[in-house]
Amino acid sequence: MRHAKKLIVAMLALVAAVALVACGDSDDSTGTTGGKSATVTGEFVTLAEAPASDFQIMGKAELDRSKGTVLSISVSGLEPKTRYIAHLHTGGCDQADPGGPHFQFEKGGSEEPPNEIHLRFTSNGAGEGKATASSEREVPVGEAGSVVIHRDDSDEMTSFEAGEAEAETIFVHEGVDHAKEGGGHGGGKAEPEHAHSDKLACAELEGAAAAEGGSSAGGDVPTIVVRDGEPVGGVAELEFDAGEEVRFRVRSDEAEEIHVHGYDLAKNVPAGGTVEFAFPAELEGIYEAELEQQGAQIVELQINP
Amino acid sequence: MSFLPLAHALSARDDLPVPAWLFAWAASIVLIVSFFALAAGWRSPRFEQWRERPLGEGLSRVLLGLPAQVTYGLIGIFLLGFSIYAGLEGTVAPERNFTLTFLFVTCWLGFPFFSAIFGDLFRPFNPWRAIGRATGAGFGAIAGQRSAHLAYPEKLGRWPAAIGLLAVVWLEVVYGAGGIGIDPHTTAVAALIYSGYTLAMMAAFGVEEWCERGEIFSVYFGMFARLGIFHASDGRLQRRPPLAATTTWATIPGSAAVVLASIAATSYDGAAEGAVKDPISSAAEWLIDQGVGPVASIRLTETAFMLLCFGAVTLVYMLGVRGMRTVPGAPSLAKLRVGFSHSLIPIALAYLVAHYFSLFVFQEQAQFGYLLSDPLGTGTTNLFGTASWEVDYKVISTNAIWYVQVGSLVVGHVMGLMLAHDRALAYWSDYRKATASQYWMLAVMVAFTCFGLYLLSVANG
Repeated sequence: MRHAKKLIVAMLALVAAVALVACGDSDDSTGTTGGKSATVTGEFVTLAEAPASDFQIMGKAELDRSKGTVLSISVSGLEPKTRYIAHLHTGGCDQADPGGPHFQFEKGGSEEPPNEIHLRFTSNGAGEGKATASSEREVPVGEAGSVVIHRDDSDEMTSFEAGEAEAETIFVHEGVDHAKEGGGHGGGKAEPEHAHSDKLACAELEGAAAAEGGSSAGGDVPTIVVRDGEPVGGVAELEFDAGEEVRFRVRSDEAEEIHVHGYDLAKNVPAGGTVEFAFPAELEGIYEAELEQQGAQIVELQINP
Repeated sequence: MSFLPLAHALSARDDLPVPAWLFAWAASIVLIVSFFALAAGWRSPRFEQWRERPLGEGLSRVLLGLPAQVTYGLIGIFLLGFSIYAGLEGTVAPERNFTLTFLFVTCWLGFPFFSAIFGDLFRPFNPWRAIGRATGAGFGAIAGQRSAHLAYPEKLGRWPAAIGLLAVVWLEVVYGAGGIGIDPHTTAVAALIYSGYTLAMMAAFGVEEWCERGEIFSVYFGMFARLGIFHASDGRLQRRPPLAATTTWATIPGSAAVVLASIAATSYDGAAEGAVKDPISSAAEWLIDQGVGPVASIRLTETAFMLLCFGAVTLVYMLGVRGMRTVPGAPSLAKLRVGFSHSLIPIALAYLVAHYFSLFVFQEQAQFGYLLSDPLGTGTTNLFGTASWEVDYKVISTNAIWYVQVGSLVVGHVMGLMLAHDRALAYWSDYRKATASQYWMLAVMVAFTCFGLYLLSVANG
């Protein structure tokens, strides 16, 4: 039975290895609780009003609520060695004034960090930039509308390296007419001066939802924005537990029929309109929602047992 | 899941990935079982010598008599013909047309599942065999002699079936991928082409000869049928021990390729939407950047990954075989390669069950519901009053699906180990050497089973 002993030792070692791998796996899964992810991400889209047309700003914005709020952006396609500033706004990118008013913890309070979230950075030689700003306070769900990047033309003396956003940022609010659009969120202070130039790029976070939902009630309903027959930012992955209410909205620039497979629900959305789905998550599994006419998938709906 | 493009096209529901804790438990059980099997395995072959026991004569006459055979054949021919007709004439919507669900779910999955229990169910219904036999009988009656056939090249063995098997899966998974989706019309045309090819080959080499070696579906379904307990021979229905008939399956060259192709095809289908989804899309994007058309890029990439998958599965098996060769007294490499291939049949079946069980359960509701009453998907016919039936996704719970998936892999693994252990005892008279050789097969099987579990845990990415 010498054999058997060796085998059992080897077996235990392997079992331990498997267990370790499995545990490692479960640690990886980012804290998704109650069907809502702690992080929201958005892709930067170059805005129409950006002055130069020969460059295309691309990149990602990520808002993490797992501990206070951490907002980080990573952008490319900027002009090399140039100072930029990005702000967290309450509105969506699709508004007439992209992003609407700046996000503020105390509405109508200070227009500077820490009451607002600003990220200053200088692009490197390749036109890339990264910045992170954090706050101990949590941005309420639904109010982190979008992140908008401007060129930083302020006369600030300090030259900022990519990194932590600084508190002593000079910031002047955009304009009163825009401040009203965010569904009553913003402070709405009119200060006509511009300390920084035109908006260059915008990354949609929760803006579409906030814009549609108006006040706080619908703030945490995810909204899928469909542009040119495709979901902005890729197929949206929505996760719910069985028994919860599945709720999401679809906004489309073209008239379409939205079809949720499995549950077999269909609703029409007019061009430029929004349609809301709300139904109990009673079927487990993974289901698609798609644009019925174009056959393009917009949502992957995962219902966990 | 989706998972697999075909399941996407047919079924609205994809399986949830197996949770990490279940993955860990299953993998641990696999390892523990494997080592105990080695430590406490039996010392003389148990499956190698088996005998069939005939069942009642009356039953055999009813089930296997000429009228019964003609009936089975006619049913098979009718269903093939109807599938082609519905594919050509019916709706192009995959999930509303009889043809795709019938061919790719009811037959392609149903025959392996049920044949593995009951023995070869496809053979009597095989429409091409029925046509071939009827033609042969007609020729014999008119010419007064049996038709002469070419000698089948022995070396070719089951290779045509192995390649054909990959081709079927390619048509199902790759050709239809990339958002185009395989449509009923393409499937019907493919069925027509395959029918012409098969009948020509049967005319050239003989009906039974071609069914045993080249006819994809006979070879593929017949492989799983070796696990089953019933067999028709000498006009009598026979009972045999489960698994035992696999021991005589791999006597024809190319058999190993068939079982490896089966494992590779299923794992590719599972991996395409999960584990290798990102590499596939980035490779396809690279091709698009090189100026290749988008559809061609996706098909080329997926074809390459599918062949890569076949290569990887073959490599793992060949490493195991090479390893066994190092044990003193081992037979030749070629003999080992052929000799252990049957032990992978239960694993190939387990892969099928793990990946398609839920699709089968859900899609058969469609098959016997609206697809039966409205086979062309016109929305106006209701032959049996079931046209408005929909699929009930609550008929099995997610947990039940997970346990079936994981359970099938574990059971398939154990069956494979038993068959391999048995074969080793037949090759090495010294049982200790046989056990030593099985370290290698054990590694191969643990690799396949854990890979299968891994695919389930990341399915549908």
